[in-house]
Amino acid sequence: MASEPALRLGARRLGISFGRRRRELSDTQFALAIGAPVLAFLVLVVAYPLGYAVWMSLHRIIFFGGYRAVFVGLSNFQKVLADQDFWWSTWVTVRITAEVVVLTMLVGLGFALVLNRRVPAGGVVRTVICLPWCVSTYGAGLMFAYLARGQTGLGTSLAYAVGITHPVDLMTSDVVIEVLAVGAAWTMAPLVAFFLLANLKTIPRRLYDLAALDQLSPLETFWNVTLPPLRYTLFVFTSIVTVLTMKLFDFIFVMTGGGPGETSATLTYEVYKISFKNLDLGYGAAMSFYLLFLIIGTTFLLYLVWGRREVTR
Amino acid sequence: MKSRRFLTIAALVAVIWSLLPIYWFCRMAFLTPTEIQRFPWPLIPHAPNLASFFNIFGFNYRLASGIVSPASGQAGQIINGLEDSLIVSTAVMVLTLAIVLPLSYVFARIEFAFKNVLLFAILLAVALPPVSTLIPFYTMYIRVGLAGTLTGLVIVDLTITVPFVAWMLIGYFRNLPPIERLARVDGYGRLAAFGQLVLPLARSGVAVAAVIAFLFAWNEYTYALVLVNGTTANTLPTAISGFLYQYPEPGNLAAAVLVTIVPPAMVAYFLQRHIGEMNLVDPLR
Repeated sequence: MASEPALRLGARRLGISFGRRRRELSDTQFALAIGAPVLAFLVLVVAYPLGYAVWMSLHRIIFFGGYRAVFVGLSNFQKVLADQDFWWSTWVTVRITAEVVVLTMLVGLGFALVLNRRVPAGGVVRTVICLPWCVSTYGAGLMFAYLARGQTGLGTSLAYAVGITHPVDLMTSDVVIEVLAVGAAWTMAPLVAFFLLANLKTIPRRLYDLAALDQLSPLETFWNVTLPPLRYTLFVFTSIVTVLTMKLFDFIFVMTGGGPGETSATLTYEVYKISFKNLDLGYGAAMSFYLLFLIIGTTFLLYLVWGRREVTR
Repeated sequence: MKSRRFLTIAALVAVIWSLLPIYWFCRMAFLTPTEIQRFPWPLIPHAPNLASFFNIFGFNYRLASGIVSPASGQAGQIINGLEDSLIVSTAVMVLTLAIVLPLSYVFARIEFAFKNVLLFAILLAVALPPVSTLIPFYTMYIRVGLAGTLTGLVIVDLTITVPFVAWMLIGYFRNLPPIERLARVDGYGRLAAFGQLVLPLARSGVAVAAVIAFLFAWNEYTYALVLVNGTTANTLPTAISGFLYQYPEPGNLAAAVLVTIVPPAMVAYFLQRHIGEMNLVDPLR
């Protein structure tokens, strides 16, 4: 670098002080200096357990009669595919995820549209809508269990109030998944609402004035003015809610415990049951990888059929 | 006029939807023991009392009718859990910010090799289901002596808060005006420009990130259930779950859950004002 001394001389004359210290790090060096410790942390605490799970899934781990781990190759993975409970849990997971995603996005969008307008006592409404997000998922699980159960539920109280002395139980095998979906959507909708609201705020007011000039109906205005700038956020949050619902465990664990019977046993619950109740660690690990494939596969599919268009738009 | 009425009704529906489950559950904390023995429980507590709140913190409470509502046997667990939860949540909040602030700033502002690979690694960590990593963590913790310790719980919480908060803040830093370039021309070093100019400018985003990290650790249940439950390092959620299995006492259970909502509810008002400024939508763009 022949020009370096001249540059420094010029810099010093301008009163820039870097000349006195040794030369600064390049962008990449600076980025790595900050990124490397974090990467090391992620490798240690994420990649290590992941690698350990791979190892477990390839072994048959036995606790009774002394701890043993026998290498069994891919047989755990084969066994999962022949497991009735696995396919039932996959179906439950897909069903609950579809319901939660649709409900969360609709409720979130509805909240955002309401909050974007002037409502009476707007600050209070905003805070109240935020509240379900503050409730932990286990807390929400308890709340919805008490709300839906026959002995303590809203349905029973209302029925008695109008004179029908017959308990109304919503935790039956027919509708328990739908009740779970409503509860999960209840906890997640505020998050979606607030980020959609942030997006709504960026739409210029004059677009609405123009729409009014063109005498568009409210529905046409929504479709042509409001919705287009939201589409990318809607896609991102559809993906986020999909991932969160497929990962959801404590809510289901607290609210139904997979029951009644096995009706609401999602894949997360099934993996928990196999690993922690049956202590079949290798088999549980193998099944958890099918769950991971399902999560990654679904988000990738969402990206292919929807997200790709929004990114290039 | 018609749309005004429609809007009010919509707001009312939103408020009822948000409050009904909370009300339904928490009203149990205010029912008297005689009301709880009735079937079905009344919709509204007729003689609301604070007995459950005294009981869960280990005090007897004399009701208006003269009956003494005894202190809960879980009180020690609850107080211990409250302390532990505060310690863990504060530690997670501070460490998350210390790790994530420089990291997301670098990702938002500086172009460098392997950036997308690193970013993808962070996003993969968001997609991992906790049930897949529970057992490896448990086995690893038994081996290194971290099982049943608060340190272990903090580390596990960080594996989730760090990627999630980083993802939020990358988009946020990108939206800030690039003042640090001007500062660098004026002779600021990189760290000085970041610490003295960027961070003060980004304080609302930093505050929201801090709140989200705190809330996550405060509410985390699955890992705590497996890693610290039944030890002295119990957090509030696992302490509360003791009410479920040992001694069903719906009034105390509801009171304890209500206590866990109070700190987050206090920040809810703060959040609703700041979160609109965030843009976490797309770190890759």
